[in-house]
Order: sequence, then structure tokens, then C-alpha cells
Amino acid sequence: MSDIAVSRGRATWRARLGASGESTWQLPDARRALQLALAAIWLLDAVLQYQSFMFTKGFGQMLAGTAAGNPSVIAGPINWDARLVEHHAVLINSIFATIQLLIAVGIAWRPTVRAALAASILWSLGVWWFGEGLGMVLTSSASPVNGAPGAVIIYALLAVLLWPSGRYAATARFVAARAVGGTAARILWLLLWGSLAYFALLPGNRTAQGLSGMVGGMAAGQPGWLAGLDNHAASLLAHQGLAASIVLAMALVLIAVGVYLPAPAARATLVLAIVVAALIWIFGEAFGAIMAGGATDPNSGPLLILLALSYWPLGKLATASAPVTPTAGAEPGHEEVKA
Amino acid sequence: MSEIPGFILDAFAALMLLVAAVSAGRLALDRPWRRGVMDADVDGVHVLMGIAMAGMLVARLSTLSNGVWTVIFAVTTAWFAWFVYRESRGGGARVLVHSHHAPHLVHSAAMVYMFAAITAPAAGHGSGMAGMGGAGGGMSTLAVPVLAFIFAILLAGYAVLDLDRLSGPAPHGSHLAAVAVAPAGAAVAGAAAGSGTLGPGTASAAAVRPEGGIATLPEQAASPARSAGAPGRGGGSVRDLLLNPRTAAGCRIAMGVTMAFMLVIMI
Repeated sequence: MSDIAVSRGRATWRARLGASGESTWQLPDARRALQLALAAIWLLDAVLQYQSFMFTKGFGQMLAGTAAGNPSVIAGPINWDARLVEHHAVLINSIFATIQLLIAVGIAWRPTVRAALAASILWSLGVWWFGEGLGMVLTSSASPVNGAPGAVIIYALLAVLLWPSGRYAATARFVAARAVGGTAARILWLLLWGSLAYFALLPGNRTAQGLSGMVGGMAAGQPGWLAGLDNHAASLLAHQGLAASIVLAMALVLIAVGVYLPAPAARATLVLAIVVAALIWIFGEAFGAIMAGGATDPNSGPLLILLALSYWPLGKLATASAPVTPTAGAEPGHEEVKA
Repeated sequence: MSEIPGFILDAFAALMLLVAAVSAGRLALDRPWRRGVMDADVDGVHVLMGIAMAGMLVARLSTLSNGVWTVIFAVTTAWFAWFVYRESRGGGARVLVHSHHAPHLVHSAAMVYMFAAITAPAAGHGSGMAGMGGAGGGMSTLAVPVLAFIFAILLAGYAVLDLDRLSGPAPHGSHLAAVAVAPAGAAVAGAAAGSGTLGPGTASAAAVRPEGGIATLPEQAASPARSAGAPGRGGGSVRDLLLNPRTAAGCRIAMGVTMAFMLVIMI
């Protein structure tokens, strides 16, 4: 036994100082990595839902605010839900937060990834309606800069695109195509980014001070450095609403059609998508206003980036992450990668 | 006044005390002072973190002052930073993903930040770190909230990575595997001595895994039979459960999620 103990001790410290996790660690394949990123965002959502504000009547009133401007058939159920939340804030918000926590854990836990992704789709659709007023897409105030068409609908879209199915694996040129096929995935991309271009050109966003006011309005309650960034960006956009909207819309149209271009051009437009999403997240959404308190999610910026990565041509992305050896009965969320 | 229901803070505090108790149990059962078991430091830090976090969550569980905790976790941060530095000399930035110590470094650094940056509740009359919700007072907040945001993202990332590894076919080479290297070493020694620790199943696993080396061993070692691999050490189910590397990983996940929760609600 003493020999064993000595061997164990030596192996222990060798592993600790040198060999631990050095040569044998395999990164998850591209799709699993994206699923895990989605799970991490759900986890962040869950802990945001535990903030003290969410247990107050203010949360219900915030939900009620999304009814404004929506048709009555949409607004009615939102108002009903908001009243319910106001009256039972502690119970309902505890349930909300726990559901999101379970979704996060379920996606990260391989055997439950399918169930969790399916639940996330249902939950996202519900929140999109009752919590975000359909992302305000039926109102005149939707803008890609403030999160339209609603961050939560992108969660649902990602759940569909990252579904652990190998049905189209043989022909898929990017991760998002593996579950639904290349044609359907490209159409979904075109619809999303095309709609963002449309929202950018809505009358309210084309006004001289439209974008400037939107960006400047995010500064309230933020840390000084972020408020400074927002205010500076707002002053740059002052009286440039029309020009800025047109430039933004052109960029969004280019991104929308980018997935139909040859791989090198598609990569360039995906980089553009990531840059635009990052700019929106920083300046338009102030990182989801998380640092101001009271945010329920990080908003659309990181989700758009995640989405863009799921369309990255696999030749590059798949080789960046170690392919997983196909095995009989491969576990959900971790099937083989074929570049 | 803090609006977070007390039962939620109590539940998280209970979870942290459970983590502390489990980690203390691991320390006691593995008797690190005798054999230099690899994760004695991790378990020890988990004990400290569990107690400290429970005290932050619920005022009546508060023990030491903020300053003392800050110093303690500054030391543990330096300890894990040293190991991450050593590991990074061969692995570069990848070490942040696959290092055994990187998550513990982030956990310790987040603790330093929380204790150093916590500010007294605006309307509160809690003492020092006496509860984030304040003892009947307002909510404690954190200075430099961008750090809270960054730490929360990192902690969420490590938590989902751990969950993925825990639920995978066999964690090899990861920090879960690194945890399991120690019993694997015992297994090798046992096999060499003819004890039959490395059975045919393990041998075949080694044959089909080209990675070889330690990558094959954690598959066996990470099983609940960790302690059973060491002859003469008994094999009680509680002991197996406590010493299982997956239990340590579960503690780390619980710690990370709770820490992210605390950071976010104090922004």
C-alpha cells in the first residue's frame, strides 16, 4: 500500500506540474461549443432573473410596458400576464429564474440537450410575446440598435439551428446547416438580417435625432466609462439619423445576402456581421444594460455573434476545434464533425 | 430593502455550506497530510469559499471580516495563478480552457473582488459583509461593476464546460481528468503489483484510444470506483461518493453558479 501511495503521490504532482490536461484535452466540436456558449448565456439570464428588481412590482410594470403600441390581440395577453406577475412577483419570478437555470443546465448536460433545447424554444416564444411584446416588431419603435426583433427569439432560432441532428451533416457547409439543411438555414439568416435592415429604415429611426437619442438614452445608470462611450457615440450621430440608418441598412443587407456568396466573401460578411453585432451591443445596448441593473438578458448583440459563428464555413471552424471521433450511439450534442 | 426573497438567499447559503462540508469530508477521507493528494488545496479552498459565501448570503452565518477574507483569497489566487502560469508555459492561452487550475484561479479572484469591492448597503445597518441583502437593510453593491459582469461571464462559461465534461462519455485530459490522475497512478501501481486493478476493460479502452497515456486512465479512475482502486482502503458508498472526482466537479459547478448569482445581484 505504501508503494501505491508513493506512486500516487508522484503521479499526482507530475500531473499537477506538467502533464495535467496538456496533450489530451479535446475541445468540443464546433456545434457543441456553440451549444455551450448558448447554455452560458442562458445561465447568465437565469442569474439576472434573480436580481432584486425582478421580485418587485416593477418587473410586472416593465412587462406591461411592452404592450404599448402593439395590436390589442397581442397587448391584451401581455397586460394579463403583467398583472399576474405584479401580484405574485416572488413566486412567478422564482419560477422564471429556475426555468432558465434548468434550460442552461439541460443544454450543458449532454443527455438532456435535446429536451432543453426544445424547452428553450417554447420558453423563448412565450417570453417573446409576454416579455418582449414580440420584440416590438409590430410597432414603429423597433430598431436593430435596441434589440429588435427581440433577443429572445434569437435564442429560439439558435436552438433550432444547433439542434443535435446529423440529418444534413454530409452536405452541411456550416454548423447551422446540419440540423435544417443549407437552404433553410440560409433563408432563416436572410429573413433575420433582412428584417433588421428593414427595421433600420423605419421612419422613427430615420429621423435626424432618432439613432442619437436611442444611443444617448442608454447612458443613464451606466458606469462612467460606458456612459461616456454612449454619449460620445450619440454626439457623433446627432443630426445624422438618416445617413446613419441608410449606412446601417446597407451593411445589414450585405450581411443578409452574404451567406449566398462564395466562402471567402461569406467569411468577410460574417466578420462584418460580428463587428456590427458587437457595435450594437456596446453602443446601442450598453452590454444589455446589465451594469445598470435590472436587465433580464444581455440583449441581442452576443446572440447575433453566436449566430454568425454558426454560419462560419466549416473548413475553418471545424479544423479549429478537434473533431470528435464518430462513435456508435454518439451522445446528443456531440455527434461527429465533418468538414 | 433587499427584495430578493430570503428563501433564495438561504437556499444558496445552504448549498454553499453543503459544498464546504463535502469538501471538508474529502479532505478528511483523503488525508492529504499523509500522501499529498493532488486536490487537497482545491478542497481546502472550497471549504473556505463555502463558509465565506454563506456568510455573504446570510448575515447570521458571517464569520470573518471582509479584510481577512480578502487576504485569504488573495493568497489562494496567487497559489492558483502560479499553477496556471506553470501550465501555460507549454499550452499558451489554451490553458484557460483546459487547465485544471484556471477555474479555481477565477473563483479565487472573484472572491477577492467581491470582498474588496463590496460596499455597505445604502439604507442598511448590516455590519461589514453581514449579508448581501443586509440584515434588514438595503442591498450591498459592488464597485467597478464591469468586473462583476466579466467574472459572471467567466464563471458561467466554466460551469457549462464542467457540466459538459461531467456528462460526456469520458473526461480525459481535462481538469476533471487531472483530478483523476492520482487514483490512476494508484491503479497503475496496483496493476504492476499484480493486484488486477487494471482489468481487461481498461486495457481494451487503452487499445482503442490513440491518445494513450493518462488519457485512458481517467476513464477508469473517474468512475465511482476511485477509492476502490486502492487496495485496503475499503469502499463505503459515502466514501466513494465523496472521493469521486465528479463530486469535486459538482462542487465547483455549484460554487461557480452561486458566485455568478452573487456577483450579478450585487451589480
